[in-house]
Amino acid sequence: MNRRDLYRFGTTLLGGMLTLGLAVPGVAYLLDPLGKKRGTARVYPLAKLDDLEVGVPRSFPIVDERQDARVKYPKEPIGLVWLVRQPEGSKSQVEAFQAECPHLGCAINLSGDKKSFRCPCHDSAFTFAGKPENKIPPRPMDRLEVEPIGPDQMVSVKFERFRSQSEEKIPLA
Amino acid sequence: MLKNLAAWFDTRTGYKHLVHEALEEPIPGGARWRYVFGSALSIAFMIQLVTGILLMTSYSPSSSTAWGSVWYISTQMNLGWFIRGLHHFGSQTMVVVMLLHLLQVVIAGAYRSPREVNWWFGMLLMFVTLGFSLTGYLLPWDQKGFWATKVATKIASGTPLIGPAIEKVVVGGDNYGNQTLTRFYGLHVGVLPGLLVLFLVGHIALFRKHGVTAPPKATGSEPFFPKQVFYDTVAGLAVFGVLAFFTWQHHGAPLDAPADPGSLEYPARPEWYFLSLFQMLKKFPGKYEFVGTQVVPGAIVAVLFLLPLLDKLFPRKFAHFLACMFVFALVGGAGYLTVEALRADANDPSFAASRKVADQAAARALELAGNPNAGIPPSGSSDILNRDPLTRGMAILEQKCLGCHAYTGKTQGKPEDPFKAFDLAHFATPGWIGDLLEDPGAPKFKAHVPTAPGAKTFTEKPLNGMETWKKTYDFDTDAERTQVAEFVASFARIPSDVTAEEWASDPKVKEHPAFENFVSSCLPCHAVADLGQPDKDQKAPGLFAYGSPQWLSKMIRKPGAKGFYGYLKPHEQMPGFEDLTPADLEMIVRLLRDDFVGSEPSSHEKSPSAPH
Repeated sequence: MNRRDLYRFGTTLLGGMLTLGLAVPGVAYLLDPLGKKRGTARVYPLAKLDDLEVGVPRSFPIVDERQDARVKYPKEPIGLVWLVRQPEGSKSQVEAFQAECPHLGCAINLSGDKKSFRCPCHDSAFTFAGKPENKIPPRPMDRLEVEPIGPDQMVSVKFERFRSQSEEKIPLA
Repeated sequence: MLKNLAAWFDTRTGYKHLVHEALEEPIPGGARWRYVFGSALSIAFMIQLVTGILLMTSYSPSSSTAWGSVWYISTQMNLGWFIRGLHHFGSQTMVVVMLLHLLQVVIAGAYRSPREVNWWFGMLLMFVTLGFSLTGYLLPWDQKGFWATKVATKIASGTPLIGPAIEKVVVGGDNYGNQTLTRFYGLHVGVLPGLLVLFLVGHIALFRKHGVTAPPKATGSEPFFPKQVFYDTVAGLAVFGVLAFFTWQHHGAPLDAPADPGSLEYPARPEWYFLSLFQMLKKFPGKYEFVGTQVVPGAIVAVLFLLPLLDKLFPRKFAHFLACMFVFALVGGAGYLTVEALRADANDPSFAASRKVADQAAARALELAGNPNAGIPPSGSSDILNRDPLTRGMAILEQKCLGCHAYTGKTQGKPEDPFKAFDLAHFATPGWIGDLLEDPGAPKFKAHVPTAPGAKTFTEKPLNGMETWKKTYDFDTDAERTQVAEFVASFARIPSDVTAEEWASDPKVKEHPAFENFVSSCLPCHAVADLGQPDKDQKAPGLFAYGSPQWLSKMIRKPGAKGFYGYLKPHEQMPGFEDLTPADLEMIVRLLRDDFVGSEPSSHEKSPSAPH
């Protein structure tokens, strides 16, 4: 190796060190959100059983404190849940659905005739049992766990979010 | 494959020719270490650019969000402290390397004909760099940046005729706030980088046109690549190494408490390389201050600009000598003033005291921002301390209460004054009530009132009822006393929507194990709803909800009300503080209830639940 090559090699080596010294922390910094954990799913009491009419869906906001990066927000709506009371003798007394569309995450509302669920963004449509009525959504509406209803008649739901666009219902960790 | 791709690209762009031209430029006299400063400066700028863009992805420029976003970057993000630290120390490194570059240029005579225009480009680049520093200092919106920048813009406002207009435009109005921050941000990330790149292109283009200023005896030449490029890379890595070292050692950049325009004693100091200007300001007090802030710096800048023209006035060698002397004197003078400023602060106890207060506020703000029970409120970072009972509540306590009261022994009253009211620390907790029941004559419970309206003599008499009571009464056991203390302390948790009658009619109250003792020991003097049979001639405050937020609020606002200290003569009563804002009242009440982050686990919480 002659002197010229040595300078060449030295420049590449030292320049590489300088670049990596800046690039590695830079990338780690930019990828910071990947390391942040989502809050664990929590159970929220939403309504008294008697407040729900059989077969008529009602939406309920999930109200909780929210940490948005640096700011801690006091209790405010952080999500929506649809509750549908089931007829006597059904397997469960109440079905709960995440209002976030499994397609691309818009909030699912009732259709104009109030006979089905419909997403206002891309027209995903679902029955009140959460079954897709067209081919737009990749899977049924995301059913949420309803706690056993005790003597206080309180309907409590475990609120969590799931990955959009997937055919499987995969909780977001 | 790669070669083919490179050839395809080259035929369309001609990049090989450009790279070749850049790298093969001949250096008269060969590569030298003394030529590295310009490149080192460019590399420092590149580091600033990269770290600056990274910071931009998380920084939020508004007076309510800036501090929080900087705190988040520094403490919560992967290596955020490192990125911000590099940027912080990078700005200082740029100033140092710029100075070395300037000295090298002057010593080598590289500012002279035919390179005058390039010298002027260099001067412009220097001002842009200092502009970066000045605007960047404000961006965290912490106390340090806020006050230092305020001083800087006030100096600008002293410019004859147009000063006030300049200040108003820069600040974005009459007051420091959101507009100031977005303007400084716009300058820092938009205008100044644009200007810097523009001037840098001019600077480098002219440098290429004229080449390096080789020493007079230099012979031969050598291409720029690889030796000089190697030297420059070593210098670049050294710059980065120094930055990384300082960042590592300080664990990033400092962050003071959020900007508080209402703070009284923040000792504003600029960044160290502006300290000489700060010190010079002191040399021209009073109406001649503008000489220190405007005339002298202006004259220095004018001479620097005109330096290449000295050759027209004097023989070439003598002109160079003068130029060197001027720059050395400038650096020496600035160094002297900087040391003088640092020494003045080091020997000034009041500076140290103010700095200590500022450091405590900063530490408290950082503690609260990261505490899950506090955090940064949506209303803005300034509310971290404004809504902290230990900070805001204590400030009001010192201002309004400690003239008479004490708090953990601390009081604002003069030592020669008799102590006029009891110690407020841990008021109405089981421990405090227990101590009162055990030894009401202890110094922390002592209270004096004027003997007559406006009198300078004081008496304990109307407020020493507990001492009188103690002479005739005692509990059978310590356990009984503790039980009564805990029972009374539990009144502080009676909700505000429960009336005295509702509370008293709750069977659990009368079932409480301390109830009988409470009735026999306390109720002869104190009233609690219609329990017990207090003397008609009331001589003690009521105890219903004693120590609760509602009780304390009314006690502070209307101490002379019925059920409080209305039984005293007006001159014996505590003055009412009805002018307190609801937010301030809440802060003081929470402080008195030990309801703040970092307080001892509240004794209220440990005591058995108050029946209600």
